[in-house]
Amino acid sequence: MIEATELTKRYGERTAVDRLSFTVRPGRVTGFLGPNGAGKSTTMRLILGLDAASGGRVTVGGKAYRDLPVPLRAVGSLLDAKGVHGGRSAYHHLAGLAASNGIPRRRVDEVLDLVGLPAATARGRAKGFSLGMGQRLGIAAALIGDPEVLILDEPVNGLDTEGIRWIRELMKSLAAEGRTVFLSSHLMSEMELTADHLIVIGRGRLIADTTMRDFIETNSRAHTLVRTPEPEKLRALLESVGAQVRLDATGGWRVDGPDAATIGNLARDHGLALHELTSTHSSLEEVYTALSQSSVEYRTENQKEAAR
Amino acid sequence: MTTPTLGSQALSYEWIKFRSVRSTLWTTAATAVLPLLGAVFVAATGSLQPDDTVLGGSLTLSVVAQMLAAVVGALVISGEYSSGTIRTTFAAVPRRSTVFAAKATLVAAVMYALALLSCSAAYLVGDAMLPAGRYAQGDPLPALFGIAASFAVAAVLGLAVGTLVRHSAGAVTTVIGVLLLPSLFGPLFGNAERWIAGLSPTAALEKLTQTSDATSDTVGSLGPWPSLLLVAACTTAITLAALLLLRRRDA
Repeated sequence: MIEATELTKRYGERTAVDRLSFTVRPGRVTGFLGPNGAGKSTTMRLILGLDAASGGRVTVGGKAYRDLPVPLRAVGSLLDAKGVHGGRSAYHHLAGLAASNGIPRRRVDEVLDLVGLPAATARGRAKGFSLGMGQRLGIAAALIGDPEVLILDEPVNGLDTEGIRWIRELMKSLAAEGRTVFLSSHLMSEMELTADHLIVIGRGRLIADTTMRDFIETNSRAHTLVRTPEPEKLRALLESVGAQVRLDATGGWRVDGPDAATIGNLARDHGLALHELTSTHSSLEEVYTALSQSSVEYRTENQKEAAR
Repeated sequence: MTTPTLGSQALSYEWIKFRSVRSTLWTTAATAVLPLLGAVFVAATGSLQPDDTVLGGSLTLSVVAQMLAAVVGALVISGEYSSGTIRTTFAAVPRRSTVFAAKATLVAAVMYALALLSCSAAYLVGDAMLPAGRYAQGDPLPALFGIAASFAVAAVLGLAVGTLVRHSAGAVTTVIGVLLLPSLFGPLFGNAERWIAGLSPTAALEKLTQTSDATSDTVGSLGPWPSLLLVAACTTAITLAALLLLRRRDA
């Protein structure tokens, strides 16, 4: 469980995190979304006590990070792939971490095995690692203490399709074991497949803290895709009941307003044949783009004003 | 979990990091080898001042070795900033003073032990190779313990400078500068020279080795042991400042 209360971080004039309050609960994957510069990485650094908060507080399992008696057994974190010294081997990187928290050395081989880094590769210097291998090493480091809470910043960065699927399954299984999994990503489609719960921020402020399903349902506009051999007739009919009708990119009408059942009944009552009737929600990607667009625009406006 | 356990865990973490990176290992090896090479070279070529001591002549290169000890101290922390591992380190050991204390203990202990061995060996080699009776002997004991201590002090000074500068190249340059500048620019300060030059760990080392270079005009008239104490006190002050900053700064 991670609890942030009125968490604030200012760098000089700039407020990176602005009175942010949220709770990340165990047993599910919580996605942390926001456009670049929204304050996601800063928030994660604040949770880990790497940066000092300008105001408010954040706790992990009820304690400030620096007060955790054995931090790596409580929290595993992956901040960026550059947390490894290029001249050091993956094995020694992990062995050092294990030693720092009194974790037995055999755990190093276990996590290497878990993330699929071969022993021979792990003995080589990390400088030669691909982005994907570096990411696997970072996850191995996060898992070294078998922690209850995982905090991962952009974990799928640089991974191939197979790697992404692997992380997704890993995150879900860790959450299913009752752990708290908190991950940020700018890949919305990925988040849609992995996260159960969402915390969305923009300009350091909370935009949404809700389940994935609610988020999409609340914020996305439902619409219906209809195809008919008599398109003009159908359009006139739909518009007469107050629906908004646009041409969809795939052909057919994209209808906002009445739901699929209403449209189907309407067509039958007027003797119109329908070849397709599909109700869709806009994807998380679209919802998110719309949301973050407004926050990005706001910022550019502000900057313009500041520049004046 | 008690604090001593935390301290020893932090120390073993630092030890694993220290021995698994080439830059610190090679610089440490060079620190240990240089005094010996110097002793062999000086004795083989007979390049001593007539008024020099066997101890001072044998430890000619110890000044350079001491500088490398300080470089190792600087690398131990600045390397972490350069590579970004400092965040990994602070995530594993959130108490920054514990991290700093572990690093200081490590470099001080390693440098003390290596310098004691290496400088003693250098003296023995020089003594064996130089013709008996031509030069004053010098008093190797207890001077060698002080010499080793001056290496430990230099390493901790390097660590403090590395903490303040946070960038490897910058830290190495700064730490060499800190050790060299007092003796380079001392002459500019006229009569104050011996006070300024006397603040450097190099000065304490030269006095302890009883070399003929360590005249009171250049490095001050303070005796070798008070000089070592003075240098240790200055290093402690810089170290405390670095520690305060380390605790307050965002990683």
